Amino acid sequence: MEELKECLIAVQTCSEVLEVMEADFVGLAIQNEVGPDVRWHCAAGNITDKYKRITVRYGKGIAGRVISSGSPMMITSFPENILGKSTDYPIMLAEKLVSSFAVPLFFNGIPKGVLLVGHRNGIHKFSDEEQQHIKKYALLLEEAIKSHIHL
Amino acid sequence: MRNPMGLLPEKQEISSYIIQSQEEEIKRIALELHEGVGQSLYSMFTGLQFIEAGVEQPHLKSYIKEMSQIMEKTIQEIRLLSVELHPPTLTTLGLLPAIKSYVKLYTSTFGIEVDIKSIGEERSINESSSIAIFRVCQEALSNIAKYADISIVKMTFIWSEQSLQINIQDYGRGFEINEIQSFGIAAMKERMFLTGGDCVVSSKIGEGTSIEISLPLKVEEEQRGVNIDQNSAS
Repeated sequence: MEELKECLIAVQTCSEVLEVMEADFVGLAIQNEVGPDVRWHCAAGNITDKYKRITVRYGKGIAGRVISSGSPMMITSFPENILGKSTDYPIMLAEKLVSSFAVPLFFNGIPKGVLLVGHRNGIHKFSDEEQQHIKKYALLLEEAIKSHIHL
Repeated sequence: MRNPMGLLPEKQEISSYIIQSQEEEIKRIALELHEGVGQSLYSMFTGLQFIEAGVEQPHLKSYIKEMSQIMEKTIQEIRLLSVELHPPTLTTLGLLPAIKSYVKLYTSTFGIEVDIKSIGEERSINESSSIAIFRVCQEALSNIAKYADISIVKMTFIWSEQSLQINIQDYGRGFEINEIQSFGIAAMKERMFLTGGDCVVSSKIGEGTSIEISLPLKVEEEQRGVNIDQNSAS
């Protein structure tokens, strides 16, 4: 897979989502071409570059779980009321997020990516409208980066 | 003498027994996953590949291929889980290689880089002490990922004939030691105390945290000598 940080449209979309959703962090994770691991490729609003080094296993972390289940995932008040330990959510720790909503990106009908939108301050429950908005951006991203994804 | 958690000698023995039993159980599960479940799944995986080669109907062939891919992924997961529970390098290659291997996984999980330095000649440590130090380092690094808010950690191993000193230093957020009650830190101190070593945590808000772990190696060698004597006597 080509480096998505060099894919201008992916970076621009992340920045647009950050602005439109008034979020603190937006990240795009894609499953590696070889092996099941999932890596964060680009982000907007990040406070560190830790996301570049984070790789989660298929089924682990938010990105791994969203890809393995093919369903969205919402966290409203991290680290409270979470499944497992706080260390199972490295991107929430790295970016000091308190709430997040992550949706899968499908390529040829297979979940291979994740778009995550997060907030750092206070409990935030993503409304139905916000969720739909993020899903629409996920569809836009699928279309924009599908030529970079080799299945 | 009371230990860092203020336990009486008999409570210390219970505490030591619980930690030891827990480690033995973790090791048993890790081995069972690797040698038992993992091996059985591998037999099934090769069986599926054999069936796939013999089947001619395309829809069945692709279905079996999918199943064997899932099986391969499951075997990989089982192996990783087993290594996470009890790193085999700890008994085969020693403490430092096991820590270096864990640190690679830690950096790729949390995005935090760990700068490891080892001064002096590495010496062999008995299994129970190695496990104790390994778990204390794991707990320290896990706390850094949760609370320190930093991107780089420094770990220094200083080996001498008399002792092993490990310093884990972060220049992160820091905390007021007297204002928090952490079972994690208490357990780190307890583990080191039970091996005859020590664990001292110092921290200052805004300046970071330093964890000093020490293990006297002379005692280690003497203990090993006693064990050899006992074994030869029996």
